[in-house]
Amino acid sequence: MTVARFDELIHAPTRLSIVSLLAASEWAEFQFIRDSVGLSDSALSKQLGTLEQAGYVEIGRGFVGKRPRTSARLTTVGRAAFEQHVAALQEMVARSGSTILPR
Amino acid sequence: MNSELHPGEAADALAEIRKRQQQVIDRAMVPAWYWWVVGALMVVLAVGVDTKTHLALGITIPVFVVGMLAATGIAVRSQVLYAKVHDTLLDGTAVIAILGFVALIVGCSLGIAFGLRAAGVSYPATIGCGVGGLVMGLGGPVLNRQLRRIMLGNRAGIK
Repeated sequence: MTVARFDELIHAPTRLSIVSLLAASEWAEFQFIRDSVGLSDSALSKQLGTLEQAGYVEIGRGFVGKRPRTSARLTTVGRAAFEQHVAALQEMVARSGSTILPR
Repeated sequence: MNSELHPGEAADALAEIRKRQQQVIDRAMVPAWYWWVVGALMVVLAVGVDTKTHLALGITIPVFVVGMLAATGIAVRSQVLYAKVHDTLLDGTAVIAILGFVALIVGCSLGIAFGLRAAGVSYPATIGCGVGGLVMGLGGPVLNRQLRRIMLGNRAGIK
């Protein structure tokens, strides 16, 4: 059972989108995150930096052939924080009497 | 807990979470053409087996191997280059669905091929794999939809 804990750091709109993408992935490539969320390179770098500082995200740098590739993944701490945040959101919705249905 | 957040905002945040996770899942789906290509390659290989000549086998086996590698490489390109779906999204039900699909294709192809061979029909492997390939082309997208449904159901913010 996941403990509900609202996380201010994750809840910021762009970070929520980034962390949600990463939550469904083992890892995601920088370009994919940038294009999916619709951020500029610098804005995404800034947000990933904030998440990395908090220990929520791990940034990996490598090469595919000769092309440099940056990828990001949620750490165990980040994944746990995300799950707790989702539980907190669900609790708020449930308390209001609404239902959450998969779309 | 943030007491200032309105339940409507919480619901919107959950919708955003589901939407972003769906993007990863949709990106990872195998394209429909893949199943038809694999089905066609099965038939190519079976023609070589039925023809029983070194020349036919020398052509059909490399076509099958290279074709499979190329098609699979292109189909899983997204998983390799952009994002890999988290393992927890594919649960036991998904594994059963995949194994069931493989068993259906193999059972169909081999069952028909051996049955026709016993009956003395010409080109039994080709006909068997032709039927198996057809089942693959038609059933692959159904398996895709099933896997997508399972993964969407396993997203955070659903249960």
